[in-house]
Amino acid sequence: MVRLNRVLLKDAGNAIDKTLSEILVCPLSKQPLRFCEKTKSLVSDTIGVSFPIKNGIPCLVPKDGKILEEEADASKA
Amino acid sequence: MALRSVSRRLGSRILNHRSFVASIHSHATSFGFQEVKEEEKSKLVGNVFTNVASSYDIMNDVMSGGLHRLWKERLVGKLSPFAGMKHLDVAGGTGDVAFRIYDAVYSVKRRALQKVDEVSLEETQIYVCDINPNMLNVGKQRAAERGLRDNKSLVWVEGDAEALSFDDNSMDGYTIAFGIRNVTHIEKALAEAYRVLKRGGRFLCLELSHVEIPIFKNLYDLYSFQVIPNLGELIAGDRESYQYLVESVRRFPPQERFASMIADAGFEKVEYENLVGGVVAIHSAIKL
Repeated sequence: MVRLNRVLLKDAGNAIDKTLSEILVCPLSKQPLRFCEKTKSLVSDTIGVSFPIKNGIPCLVPKDGKILEEEADASKA
Repeated sequence: MALRSVSRRLGSRILNHRSFVASIHSHATSFGFQEVKEEEKSKLVGNVFTNVASSYDIMNDVMSGGLHRLWKERLVGKLSPFAGMKHLDVAGGTGDVAFRIYDAVYSVKRRALQKVDEVSLEETQIYVCDINPNMLNVGKQRAAERGLRDNKSLVWVEGDAEALSFDDNSMDGYTIAFGIRNVTHIEKALAEAYRVLKRGGRFLCLELSHVEIPIFKNLYDLYSFQVIPNLGELIAGDRESYQYLVESVRRFPPQERFASMIADAGFEKVEYENLVGGVVAIHSAIKL
């Protein structure tokens, strides 16, 4: 039952995430965000910061942003 | 206890002498009647709302005798929501305003009257932005209870009113109900509101404000400082947060001053309407 809910949630989440990355921008640079499949977060490439998505809610408070390390560039390719 | 009430009375007397054109800087460093560092304020406010999130809605009903519902109805009425609109409700954590806008757009009676086409109805997007995840979670839960959990029109985002994560000129409407009082830098929040609104977009702010009517003011002060913190203790188990609430209302700029701040942000046709003699005020403006 839990697994079924989790699968359903994930599917719902993915659909929403695409819409989100289209409408949301980085709160700091105001540039478009990219949805990163691997980390399930929204990435601001301009300033190299990623914002988490918790419970389907994107957390775009500036201080919640995580500065991305160099190796993250590999995942972009 | 006696000392505290004496110092509070002294404090309010000093406040009365101080000119209301006090620098906006003072709002950024005030947490109710306490002076705090700017960086601290948002954390302290965050703690308040984390603590009250679960009883937020009940407390609103009790403190305002249910009137807050009418005030929010009025706010949404002034907004005149339309199908296909992109709306941003800031500090709207538990969803009160967002749900009302949703209902207004999707109400069957309204659709029949206005011959709305289904496509534009589906394009309606209501974004609920709040800095506090607990408040948003309560909102999402309420959405689920209404059967709107997976509804694409309601989007919940955690964000800062002073640094919104929405594109310039993207919103038809912006509302902030009982939230602007809590931001550290009001001018930044207003500037952000201006930025995200489209040309012709409406700004609406519902906020607790200042009462000047002679005897009523005294009754209101009595109610605020004697009754509300006790209600907070009784119902939410948190006296401090509700003490902060009533103090923060007093520290917020009065109606005229706030209206000029809105104008300073670039808005036009700035107006305000007092409800219940000024206990709340709805400020409205347009980005032209």
